[in-house]
Amino acid sequence: MEYASFPYLTAILLSCVTGLVVILILPGERKAQIKWVSAVFSGITLIISLYLFFAYDKSQGGLQFVESIPWVESLGITYFNAADGFNLPMLLLTGIVFFTGVLTMWELDYRVKEFYAFYFVMVTAVFGLFMSMDLFFIFIWYDVSLFPMYLLIVVWGKTRKEYGAMKLTLYLLAGSALVLPAIIYLYVQSGLNTFDVTILMRPDTFTPGQQKFAFILLYIGFGILAGVWPFHTWSPVGHVAAPHAVSMVHAGVLMKIGAFAILRVAIFICPEGWQHWAQLMAVLATIGIVYGAFVGLSQKDLKFVIGYSSVSHMGIVGLGLATVSVEGLNGAVFQMFGHGIMTALFFSSVGYIYDRTHTKIIAELGGLSRIMPVASTYFIVAAMASMGIPFLASFWGELMVFIAAFKAYPVRGALAVGALVVSALFMLRMVQHTFYGPKNEKYAHLSDVPFGLGIPRMILLIVLVAFGLYPTLMFDMIETASVPFINGLLQ
Amino acid sequence: MKWSLFYPELFYFVGGLAFLCLSMSKRSDPRRDYYTALVLAALGVVVCLTAVNREGFLFLNTYRVDLFSQVFKMMLSLGLFLIISICSELKTISPRHHPEFYFLLFVCTLAMMLLVSSVHILTIYVALELSSYSLYILVALRRDEKMSLEAGIKYFIVGIFASAIMLFGVALLYSTTQATYVTDMIRVLPGMLATPTVLIGLLLTLCGFFFKLAVFPFHFWAPDVYQGAANQATAYIATASKVAAIAILTRMVAVTGPGSIYLVHALVTLSIISMTLGNLAAIVQKDLKRLLAYSAVAHAGYVLIGILSMTSAGYASVIFYAVALLIMKFTAFLVVVKVADDGRNLEISQLAGLHRRSPLLAMALMVSVFSLAGIPPTIGFTGKFLIFAAAMQNGYFTLVLIAMINVVISLYYYLLILKAAYLQEPQDEPSPLHLSQPTAILTGVLVVVMVVVGIYPTYLFELARAAAGTLM
Repeated sequence: MEYASFPYLTAILLSCVTGLVVILILPGERKAQIKWVSAVFSGITLIISLYLFFAYDKSQGGLQFVESIPWVESLGITYFNAADGFNLPMLLLTGIVFFTGVLTMWELDYRVKEFYAFYFVMVTAVFGLFMSMDLFFIFIWYDVSLFPMYLLIVVWGKTRKEYGAMKLTLYLLAGSALVLPAIIYLYVQSGLNTFDVTILMRPDTFTPGQQKFAFILLYIGFGILAGVWPFHTWSPVGHVAAPHAVSMVHAGVLMKIGAFAILRVAIFICPEGWQHWAQLMAVLATIGIVYGAFVGLSQKDLKFVIGYSSVSHMGIVGLGLATVSVEGLNGAVFQMFGHGIMTALFFSSVGYIYDRTHTKIIAELGGLSRIMPVASTYFIVAAMASMGIPFLASFWGELMVFIAAFKAYPVRGALAVGALVVSALFMLRMVQHTFYGPKNEKYAHLSDVPFGLGIPRMILLIVLVAFGLYPTLMFDMIETASVPFINGLLQ
Repeated sequence: MKWSLFYPELFYFVGGLAFLCLSMSKRSDPRRDYYTALVLAALGVVVCLTAVNREGFLFLNTYRVDLFSQVFKMMLSLGLFLIISICSELKTISPRHHPEFYFLLFVCTLAMMLLVSSVHILTIYVALELSSYSLYILVALRRDEKMSLEAGIKYFIVGIFASAIMLFGVALLYSTTQATYVTDMIRVLPGMLATPTVLIGLLLTLCGFFFKLAVFPFHFWAPDVYQGAANQATAYIATASKVAAIAILTRMVAVTGPGSIYLVHALVTLSIISMTLGNLAAIVQKDLKRLLAYSAVAHAGYVLIGILSMTSAGYASVIFYAVALLIMKFTAFLVVVKVADDGRNLEISQLAGLHRRSPLLAMALMVSVFSLAGIPPTIGFTGKFLIFAAAMQNGYFTLVLIAMINVVISLYYYLLILKAAYLQEPQDEPSPLHLSQPTAILTGVLVVVMVVVGIYPTYLFELARAAAGTLM
């Protein structure tokens, strides 16, 4: 463990909180100022997370930039933040999606102040969760990241927003109803009076029976947020209802919180439970991949298609975690990153198109590539990433997961790859109907993306391609965490 | 005799007397009454603060002053002060009754202070009745006579019924243990809990306190009384009265030492039924005060979880939760009182457009509602967390799981409140709600306290632990 010379991680949180306070102080009518403030403070978080990503000493590995302050000593709660190979990609992802999300909502005109305030609360919690190494704080951040969703969707949302918002909130908090007892159970059973993950994950802290019991609770609890089949039904409904930036953060980052928390809490602390339930995890993940692909095939709404493809792609993350191997973990974390960027690009592009055409029904669009070629390009690149085209970031994650899955579970691996073909089919169909074919005269007058409004999509596209061409950057990072962890298990 | 131990009670006694005199004056002057009450209540908080570290026995050892009782007296005095601070527009009480209204509030607070310090079964009973009778009248004082009289009578009938049961229980306890002092009971009871008569006697005695806390099956009065009483009186019943009930229930259950399996089972059953019934019934409510009444029943269930852990950690968590309840319930009622500025009962749908009428109140409502639902980073979450942790120490995993499921159920109706305040727009153009500067500051302070104590509970938690330490 290497303590931080400067509290970079806390600086990220403070930057979010300062942004929030400034937004709250500014009067609601000064919409432009509020947007600029949001952009600046989210930009700072992006810069710090980029810095951390490149400043992390890969040769040394382990926990770096550690900050640890006793919080409630009699209960063993510590304010304990650290960065390692698993959470640095996630912090970077959050920074990118946060910043581009703020820019995507640049044209927002309705209750701007409240929107950005809730948005900042949500993202602060997401950052907090990714960097925290204390179970108590992980739970707090987990819940805090969820509750602004309700208001964000119900006030600024679109299709069936009240139903979608309520369903999403209740589902996700039902997940936390399983997580909290499990966390307290681990805290009590360890008898160590600590919530510190690094202490609780030491071997022989828990008996195999305790690990199996706690693992399944944590897996289902966090799994609801990760979109694990059959607990995924909130996800397409919620994504469709949410405003664009919220969809971006939600599908791009929040769902990763679920998968990441399974890794950080369930797998780290209960490795024997992990090995015990891996078979089940693989089955659920495979069903999710296949189901998401087939249901996506029959959708008529652009956002629903993306929503179901998220279920499918999060299944790939789950499958990677279920393989109990270095390749699987590498693939899963890379896939979380790749899918996060890709989905953000998807929702950001759909957002632009929807704001112009006021529809996201595939059949009503058509020939858009002739009307707005640049906007279409962004979307088509995201669709290609979703299909798993090589040299885009999401390709490498999927590749690693499938290699690992074929070793561990050949049949399920084959099914998952088969489903990927189906998903390629529905992506191509969607692209064809939306962007090619006869031009819809109704939209002929619409203008293409101006440079300024295209910035968020450009950033996402560049990241997608950069990590696609140079995946070693990411793999080296993840391996500093996954290799020691798996080796520690095998001994 | 060490009168200095008795200063807080004496102070409230004098305060009560002052209002008794005022009520006899011919001229009714609501402003004068309000400011007198406010100043006296503020002084009361100071008096209780200075008395926090006192310890000792009074009145033939029937009255015990310790950290536990003093912490609760602090909460009660604070509760009274907060309630009086929102009494500036007492429109539903006729001006000529204002001195009586404050008189009853002071007497009731005095009675509750006596209650949290009593360690003799008879003083407990007398203090309990004194507080109950003041509340019966407070409820019936509302101008809208039909509704408030009905509520008052319902309250009264359920109350005396509970008292009768309690007296029967006390008699049973005395006949078997020959103990009337709580200190004697601590010695005798743990060994005798296996005897059916003792167990039944104890449970029946607890019924008197269940009534105050609105635990099933003594919760029937809650929705009608909450709805029928003036908003400020309801706020008092929902905050200070609940705090006192939690205190005395905790003290009585602590008497049993580690408890017995039957007692625990009885409390577990009551807790589960209270939580589930309260939350399910709250879902269908349209009147905000009725909804808060059912949510109070549910919260009584959560409190019981901490009490039935019967460990020092459990009692500490309950004390913490009492503070949390006081603050978050009060904030919710503050919004009710301010939005229903003519003193009417508030429908949930009438919250529509609150985010535009008063963003501050809307935010206060949001934080208090999330706190009531137990969502971090609020004091309500931290309280629930401590309660669940204490229960889990004793291995009540299923109970905690059921409680968490209840939290999810409750979230549904809490979110509906938020939806009304943030999404729905009123039919006619809403007028902005004007908050006076002190009220705005108070609201802001409450929001900050709920969040800051939720995030950084160390000091309050240590205080609660120390207070719980004096119980065992």
